Amino acid sequence: MKKAAGVQGIPSMKKKIVVAVFMGITALASFAADEKPAGEAAAAPADAKPAAAAADTKTFPLGQGPTWAYQPVKVPATPAVQQKKWVRTPIDAFILAQLEAKGLKPSREADKAVFIRRATLDAWGLIPTPEEVKAFVSDKSPNAYEKLVDRLLASPRYGERQARRWLDLARYADSAGFTNDETRANAYRYRDYVIKAFNEDKPYDQFIREQLAGDELAPNSQESLVATGFLRYYPDDSNSRDLVQRKFLTTTNMVDTLGTVFLAQSVECGRCHNHKSDKFSQKEYYQLQAFFANSNADDAIPVKIKGEVETQFEQESAKWQEASKKARDALTKFASPYLEAAEKYNKERFFEDTRVSLFKPKEQWDAHDRWINQRYENNLGDDDTGWLGKVGLVGGYITYLYESAEDKDKKAEYKGLQDQFRKLSNAIKKFDNLKPARGSTAISAITELGHPDAPATHVRFSGIHDKLLDEVQPDFPALYNPSKAKPQIFPTATSSGRRTALANWIASPDNPLTSRVIANRIWEQHFGRGIVATVSDFGKAGDRPTHPELLDYLADNFVKEGWSVKKLHRQIFLSSVYRQSSDNREDAAKADSQNKLLAVFPRQRLEAEQIRDSLLLASGLLVEKVGGPSVLPPVPAVLTAGGRALWKADEDAKDQNRRSLYIFTRRSVPYPLLEVFDGASSQIVHSRRDVTTTPLQALTLVNNDLVYKWSQNLAGRVIKEGGGKETAELDRLFQILYARSPDKFEKEAALAFLGNHEKVIKQQLSTGKLAISIPAGLTDTQAADPVRLAAFVDLAHTLANTNEFTYRY
Amino acid sequence: MDANNTSRRDFLVNTGAGLSAAALAGFVPGLTSSSAEAATFVDPLAPKPPQFPAKAKAVIWLHMNGAPSTLDLYDYKPDLIKLAGQEVPASFLKGIKTSTQGGVGKIKATNRTWKQYGQSGAWFSDWLPNLAKRADDIAFIKSSVTVGATHNISILKLNTGDVVPGRPALGAWVTYALGSNNADLPAYVVLSSGGRGLEGGSVNYGSGFLPAVYQGTPFRLGDSPILNLDRPELTTAAQQRDNLDLLKKLNEHHATRYPDDTELQARIRSYELAYRMETTAPEAVDLSKESDATKELYGIGEKETNDYGTNLLRARRLIERGVRFVHVVSGEANGVRDWDAHNDIEKNHSAQAKAVDKPIAALLADLKAHGLLESTLVVWTSEFGRTSYGQSGTGRDHNPWGYTQWFAGGGSAAGTTYGATDAIGLQIADKNQAVDTYDVHATLLQLLGLDHLKTIFINKGRSERPTVVFGKVIKELIA
Repeated sequence: MKKAAGVQGIPSMKKKIVVAVFMGITALASFAADEKPAGEAAAAPADAKPAAAAADTKTFPLGQGPTWAYQPVKVPATPAVQQKKWVRTPIDAFILAQLEAKGLKPSREADKAVFIRRATLDAWGLIPTPEEVKAFVSDKSPNAYEKLVDRLLASPRYGERQARRWLDLARYADSAGFTNDETRANAYRYRDYVIKAFNEDKPYDQFIREQLAGDELAPNSQESLVATGFLRYYPDDSNSRDLVQRKFLTTTNMVDTLGTVFLAQSVECGRCHNHKSDKFSQKEYYQLQAFFANSNADDAIPVKIKGEVETQFEQESAKWQEASKKARDALTKFASPYLEAAEKYNKERFFEDTRVSLFKPKEQWDAHDRWINQRYENNLGDDDTGWLGKVGLVGGYITYLYESAEDKDKKAEYKGLQDQFRKLSNAIKKFDNLKPARGSTAISAITELGHPDAPATHVRFSGIHDKLLDEVQPDFPALYNPSKAKPQIFPTATSSGRRTALANWIASPDNPLTSRVIANRIWEQHFGRGIVATVSDFGKAGDRPTHPELLDYLADNFVKEGWSVKKLHRQIFLSSVYRQSSDNREDAAKADSQNKLLAVFPRQRLEAEQIRDSLLLASGLLVEKVGGPSVLPPVPAVLTAGGRALWKADEDAKDQNRRSLYIFTRRSVPYPLLEVFDGASSQIVHSRRDVTTTPLQALTLVNNDLVYKWSQNLAGRVIKEGGGKETAELDRLFQILYARSPDKFEKEAALAFLGNHEKVIKQQLSTGKLAISIPAGLTDTQAADPVRLAAFVDLAHTLANTNEFTYRY
Repeated sequence: MDANNTSRRDFLVNTGAGLSAAALAGFVPGLTSSSAEAATFVDPLAPKPPQFPAKAKAVIWLHMNGAPSTLDLYDYKPDLIKLAGQEVPASFLKGIKTSTQGGVGKIKATNRTWKQYGQSGAWFSDWLPNLAKRADDIAFIKSSVTVGATHNISILKLNTGDVVPGRPALGAWVTYALGSNNADLPAYVVLSSGGRGLEGGSVNYGSGFLPAVYQGTPFRLGDSPILNLDRPELTTAAQQRDNLDLLKKLNEHHATRYPDDTELQARIRSYELAYRMETTAPEAVDLSKESDATKELYGIGEKETNDYGTNLLRARRLIERGVRFVHVVSGEANGVRDWDAHNDIEKNHSAQAKAVDKPIAALLADLKAHGLLESTLVVWTSEFGRTSYGQSGTGRDHNPWGYTQWFAGGGSAAGTTYGATDAIGLQIADKNQAVDTYDVHATLLQLLGLDHLKTIFINKGRSERPTVVFGKVIKELIA
């Protein structure tokens, strides 16, 4: 699959390796039958027959056999069931049929309060407020559930929650990655585009087309250009001296990402050799790459529609420019005699095959040279100290002159220049505090730079970027293309039209994968497990669907309903399957230990963002504002990126307390509070959230200063809202965190705790350590015994640490 | 971190527990005492037997960040001195793609004094006077090769086996395969001391597609090595204990509704582990109980060696306590942030060598004194070496075509040398003796009792192994 590009020598073919059962777990061995060990992945000749070729001729029942996913989506009949009353939507019939076949009954309906907490977390990523719970529980109207679900789906919080999941897939980040990990100030626009798309329920086929080819389809639409951020925000190494390799790796990233996200195919295997288990050849992989041959990143497209962010950015920027003008002019004046030589020096530092393009006069550029030069130019400003651009090169050049001078006088002269450059640069840095902290007036996009001609694409020997084999033309992989569609490529005056052709094919109802893959992903959001458990691998090596007819029903209906993601969610939310209780059932566990058949609603640990956002909401501190540049909450000083401080935290607490999806994603340093709860990695497509349970998570929730501060606020809020009665306060605390009142045991335990805890705290006071923590946000009139208040903070903090809070049932 | 795989889910599921249950349980080897739990818990961090008898139990991975010129440390080349100032003869450049500005400079020699040490007669320059005394503990690899010309890419390859992010680090693989010997400490610890830290960040010690429990935990310098280890400012130990007692009570009350849910049970226990870690982690890195002589040995208290020495003494203490893999990144020394000597190599390497020489020598001696060297593999490694020809007159460029790394302890072939470079130390002398990063990984795993070809994790249907599709065990490096 993946392999270091440019590795010298091809390793010898290894013998077939038997999967080791070294962990002492026999279950592992069951994989051996179907797997090709990685050891065999050594470069296969490009003309070798794909391994799975022979297996295809047999016919299998729906959802079985190695190529089930490539069969056209069928419209299955809704199965007949005995317990007809349970069926609210066709989904229920498909689930119930299999339960009945196993002799299992579905679970009882979950309590309404449990249901609203579950649904609110799923739809919004937040816990519901006690008022929302109360309103729903007391709504006895026949369409209470419909009203609730429609309310949830209509809220902008829905788009925020859905966007986070999509950003996982888009390996979204606000920085470039690798050593320098530069800020990508325009990236947030893509994040906001995604939020808006989900909130507006943009048809999924259109969503695909815009992300893959927005620049070709609507070159004048800012929104469409921003949508191509899906492609553009690949990790990139600004320090690379090999731009020819960069082009290959960039294209590879775009193709591998779209293969995983839209098609759930491990296309990346084709980079080095024919796919080992699917009938997908190396040639076909490079034919997919050919759709992207002319795709350039452009980070300097001026914003057309200026909003608040841009206006503020311009104003701040103007202030900085004015203040620093003299200093900048002085540096520019000093640097200008060296500009030409500095740029030449800089270009000479690239690899030879890159240099060929960089030194070619513009009028002689072909499409390949254009790409290399665009990458070079686009990157000059791609730095946190961006304005310097070419002037910045002079600094490096002078240093080089100084260091390579052998003559003493020359050395002294260059030293003088170096000092001058440094002095002049430092004079500008003095104004850095005036620079806008965030925002931009540009958008980033993938475009073809106004040229319809695309560079050639070649098969690469063993995936090595400069070992070119046959040239290939764009085409769709036969395996994924049962309708045998041919790419309809219509070049425009400004673009090759290739990506449009690809996008149309992916976003077509005839594509057997697209609708199944997204329907399965949405199902997985609700039930923690996809109908195909390997949500990003529908190939032979992936899992078979547990409910193939249901998957096809969902996929087919999804397309019929206008590719509406909201309608799909709605149907699932309103199904009887989703309404089931998660209570323990021994009979179900015995018959179906993995709960694949869904006789019980699967409880789930909250995702990282759900934990943080819900804690903020509970504390009353959550600041809700949709969109805008990413925010910078405080981070421990020990965290650095590229040797620099990670970031300077926002001064305004309002920014610090935004929802988690607005926190700046620095690729090299994940935000600790989210990372520890298995947050998404922004390095590659993140298909599923893991659930691990570690002491580091416990340490975070118990000790982290921010989390503790939220508990202080939660305590303060509860005391304010409880009206001075401790039992009311206790009740309120439980309602906020768990959507229920405490039972007798809990009430007694909490009160006993408060009593004892007062003593513990008093002991602390008696030892001379006077300071205690008290609830935040209380006014003097409400002040009670401070020791009791401090005990109450710890009670709130402890209740926020429980399993019940951290899970949704 | 693509979690899209069936393997771990299935192997856990087939034993009756969900991943998360196992993951948490992972921190509780030996705690799964009740029969119900024993039947269901699969503990991903419990100690696991190696595939065959192991020579080493643990690893200290000393990454020389920025790439030292091993030509000026270990790889003595009289011809380099002889030919200094001349153009590189074309024959030496055959088959390599030189890249950076200025192309190939003139052959450069640094002003070193060289001597042979120990029974093995290994050469050391005067930049490593202390380490030279450990010559007979070391198995040199003088034919190291790798790919790449930029640090972050080659560092990623050194640590994870790929030039793009996404694969597990070697330490994560080892932890996955062998588990931990101490439930109260992370199994895979990362130590760094200022400077640029680890270029490219956490991808270098991440778990890639393996479960997150196997990722490295960075330890900071100072008393409180792990984030969030300290109690909130106004919370006393007694107060926190009281809180945790209530938490346990409420969690257990809640768990009666889900009696078979091992994941919830595991989460209850994670709080007890966290509470213990508040004590064990600071204790593990607390050097106050170490003797003054030991501290002096590591150069603690001396300006140049204090930080690195502190990390290496911590490394020994962590190994003693059952940590499986300690990943130490060299840091800033005397204002020089790493080994990347494109210019003024004299200043750069004087500072960097000074910072690591005494501490590493001390580590080898100290491990031996504690009887730990034979079961602890210490690896000196770097993303690449540096060129025989000069750059900017005073420095050296990156060299992935031939450089030196070494093993010590853990059953490696002490007092030996494998491979060689050409007469000027630019390329390896014999292509058949090339030792790529994959081969280092394969050999290291072999010493740990793991066949790199059989150390497998199924990801997206593909049997992944630490050495990707490469790697060979260098038998000569094994005693």
